[in-house]
Amino acid sequence: MATLPGLYAIRIRGRLGATALSAFPSMVSELKGSETVLTGLLEDRSAVYGVLAQIEALGLELLEFRQITAGPPARARKSPSSGEDASPG
Amino acid sequence: MQPISPDVPAARGLLDREDLLELLDRAVTKRVTVISAPPGSGKTSLLRAWAERSSNLRRVAFVSVARDQRNPEQFWRAVLDAIRSSADSTDPETHPSATAVLDGNQVADSVLLELAEHVEPVVLVIDDLHELKSAEALTQVEHLLAALPSSARVVLSSRRDPPIRLHQLRLADEVAEIRGGDLRFTERETRELLAASGIGLSAAGAAALHQRTEGWAAGLRLAVISLNGHPDPEQFVAEFSGTDRAIGEYLMAEMLERQPSEVQRLLVRTSLVERMNGELADLLAGRLGSEQMLLELEEANAFVVSLDAQRTWFRYHHLLADFLRLELRRTLADEVPDLHRRAAQWLADHGDVVEAVRHMLAAGDLTDAARLVADHSFRWVLDGQAGTIDAVLQAFPEGASADHPDLALTHAAAELNHGRLEEAAAQLALAESHVQSAPPARRRRLSVAIASLRLALARRSGQFTDVIEQVNLLDASIADNSNDAIAMDSELRAVALLNLGIVETWSRRFDDAERHLSEGAALAQAIGRPYLEVACRAHQVFPTTRVSLVSARERGRQAVALAERYGLGDRPILAPALGAIAFWAIWMGDVDEGESALRRAWEVAEPQIDPAAAVLLHLVTGQFHSARGQHQAALEAFAAGAQAQSRLTGVPALATPVVGWLASTQARLGMPDEARETLAGFSAETGPMSFIFNARAVICLAEEDPAGALDVLRDGPGVTPPTGPAFTLVETYLLAGIAHLALGERSAAAAAAEAALAAAEPDRLIFPFAMAGAAELLDALPRHETAHGALLADIVDVLRGASTPSISRERLSQPEELSPSELRVLRYLPTNLTRPEIARELYVSINTVNTHIRNIYSKLGARDRSSAVQRARELRLLSTRRS
Repeated sequence: MATLPGLYAIRIRGRLGATALSAFPSMVSELKGSETVLTGLLEDRSAVYGVLAQIEALGLELLEFRQITAGPPARARKSPSSGEDASPG
Repeated sequence: MQPISPDVPAARGLLDREDLLELLDRAVTKRVTVISAPPGSGKTSLLRAWAERSSNLRRVAFVSVARDQRNPEQFWRAVLDAIRSSADSTDPETHPSATAVLDGNQVADSVLLELAEHVEPVVLVIDDLHELKSAEALTQVEHLLAALPSSARVVLSSRRDPPIRLHQLRLADEVAEIRGGDLRFTERETRELLAASGIGLSAAGAAALHQRTEGWAAGLRLAVISLNGHPDPEQFVAEFSGTDRAIGEYLMAEMLERQPSEVQRLLVRTSLVERMNGELADLLAGRLGSEQMLLELEEANAFVVSLDAQRTWFRYHHLLADFLRLELRRTLADEVPDLHRRAAQWLADHGDVVEAVRHMLAAGDLTDAARLVADHSFRWVLDGQAGTIDAVLQAFPEGASADHPDLALTHAAAELNHGRLEEAAAQLALAESHVQSAPPARRRRLSVAIASLRLALARRSGQFTDVIEQVNLLDASIADNSNDAIAMDSELRAVALLNLGIVETWSRRFDDAERHLSEGAALAQAIGRPYLEVACRAHQVFPTTRVSLVSARERGRQAVALAERYGLGDRPILAPALGAIAFWAIWMGDVDEGESALRRAWEVAEPQIDPAAAVLLHLVTGQFHSARGQHQAALEAFAAGAQAQSRLTGVPALATPVVGWLASTQARLGMPDEARETLAGFSAETGPMSFIFNARAVICLAEEDPAGALDVLRDGPGVTPPTGPAFTLVETYLLAGIAHLALGERSAAAAAAEAALAAAEPDRLIFPFAMAGAAELLDALPRHETAHGALLADIVDVLRGASTPSISRERLSQPEELSPSELRVLRYLPTNLTRPEIARELYVSINTVNTHIRNIYSKLGARDRSSAVQRARELRLLSTRRS
């Protein structure tokens, strides 16, 4: 059950300040309206759960946690046209 | 981890949330209450307020799980302490677990027992259950809930739904749940909180605040702190409502910013440690007066929490602590390693090694951390804190022991303690390969520790061959009393002396063993290590050139008495002492005393972890049966002893008596060929060879070749009087006498019998007369001609006793097998302990004891305790049966 590194997008309610953002040094942040989107490569499952634990510990409200690509980002999916989005919205 | 006293005064700014308190009151009518809500929901505040209010009505035991708790034993010990300290009267005398070495399972059982023992209802509150990271401990919690006595209640509080199966309890409608939604402040409560905090805010402002925080308790409390003394509260709320910043971070940043700079400094710098007192806080903040600031902060808000009734230890609300730590790393990154080092130094100086190591590792000081751990590992093993070692080792990066001999050494001690001998050996080899690269000042300590562990490893595996040279090395190292030696901690020195003495004992270097074990025992006594003291004394039970047989026997008794005084009377380490007491008692004809000591020896022994002691016990078992004239049973015991001995390598231990007596017994039972085979298969190392010569003579006699027997005995070493007790010489004379008698040489026979009596007299060595079957020979000795009349009378008594085997000792048909747990309980039935006392002794619940006793009665076909004991004695379940 080895998890390959994957690119993840995490949507959090509210705009995060410098202190809270420093908890996610490996992620790039983007403020979108009243939400913060963190994007970054997470090494493996431990890294994923580490980020989740940080979100919980800081009392942040998680809106969405989504894997954008699995495996090496270079490998494109079979049906690029479908524009499938696994997010529950 | 320590239980939080519910007596701590509630912080101002906290609201008595009457509705919630009543909700919890209703919830605990069910057996299990689960509070599951995100951080900052007010779980702990609610539980504390409820505990404080309920303490008049019922016992509330309150325990908070330590951060990242991976050690089941520590977790359950904290639970147990909380339950005990919630009782009105706590009598430490009745709670032996404070010193006893227990694993998580046993402590979990004690918790159940403790809950069951009290008729008054007990509510056990376990807060921060999400910090419990041990699957084993969570399973044990599940068992606790399933077996909960009817008067007890449990409240579990966690950030997430705990991974515990509750469906059986749910089906029985015995689970109440309180979730995040229940904990939200209502608008009315928000207004009450503001009013109680003396904050004047318009109704619209209060409504906006409530809406923006969505009733989140931490958000409201943080807002209240910022609003307190704010020049324009409406403005604050308007700004807060207008921003789309994340609530928690925004409010924490606001709160921090509004604190005076010295308070900010304190909060940020002390966030590094899990808990602090004034002194540690001063050290980290770099200024005095921290305790007063912490007290004021606690009174002003719920984010600083005191951990004890005296309010000397504090911690921050987890939410705030995590925020402050981020702030520390963000704004003072350069100072962080130094702060870790300061904390580590202080914690190490104050005995909190586990936390000190954590901070050293955080500062990147791997070598120092490894050293600190190594310096404490022997202490932890002795204190029964195997879990602590495991927890500390987990904090190191994987593979670190490859570069740090100190760490490899600690790993070895931990593996050995868990009985994983191969892994222990591998780690020891790793440590050994790095000794030369260690700094000279550490090198000697490392060598001694490695040698000591290698001897301990050999003791458990029975493989002594490779360690014999280590004995000399260790002997030389610890004999040196230079300054270097003083640097070695006393625990290590005492452990090394013990291991050395034990290996020397089984190597039959009794004089050396005596020297080291005496010193080890004295040192252990001086440093207050009862277990080590008992372990040393329990091996000082063999006669030496300076210690007579009578003294050796007396020392065995003293070792047992000492162990009992310390409450260590049931430890496996006592097996050699009990075995030796039995051994010498039977040699001296006190067969009944020998029998009871032997029975106890088998009860405490663990042959798989002390194979050399097992040889002794098999040997004495055979000796006991021989003394009783039960040759078949003796044969089996000697054979078992020979087999156990053959698994030891490198030490003679008891090889010659075991093999000699096995062969003699085979010959006497009409199996001279097997007897010769036994002797042929034995390659002599060292040890008293006269046992072997005597056995050869017995074989000749069994083959009706008395002349051959005399030839053998003449060649043997036994005719030169040995120093020390004449163990084999007595038998040598007796066998010669029996041979003379068979040849019709009555006067030579009588002379040999008289010589045997003379050799036996100084130490009252009566057993050889029984072993050799000397009754007929003694009859040939005219009574009035002996100078040893009193001894002779005693011998005749023993020989008579042997000729009337009592029925009870015959093997009876085997009953249904008792399980190991049932056998453990069975051991206590002959005592005058009550069932609750037995339960406490065994750290199990009274129900468990009752079940076992029921099963024991039914399997033994007994009606009551005394008939069960009698039946168990008949079946020899109370003596030599061990799993």
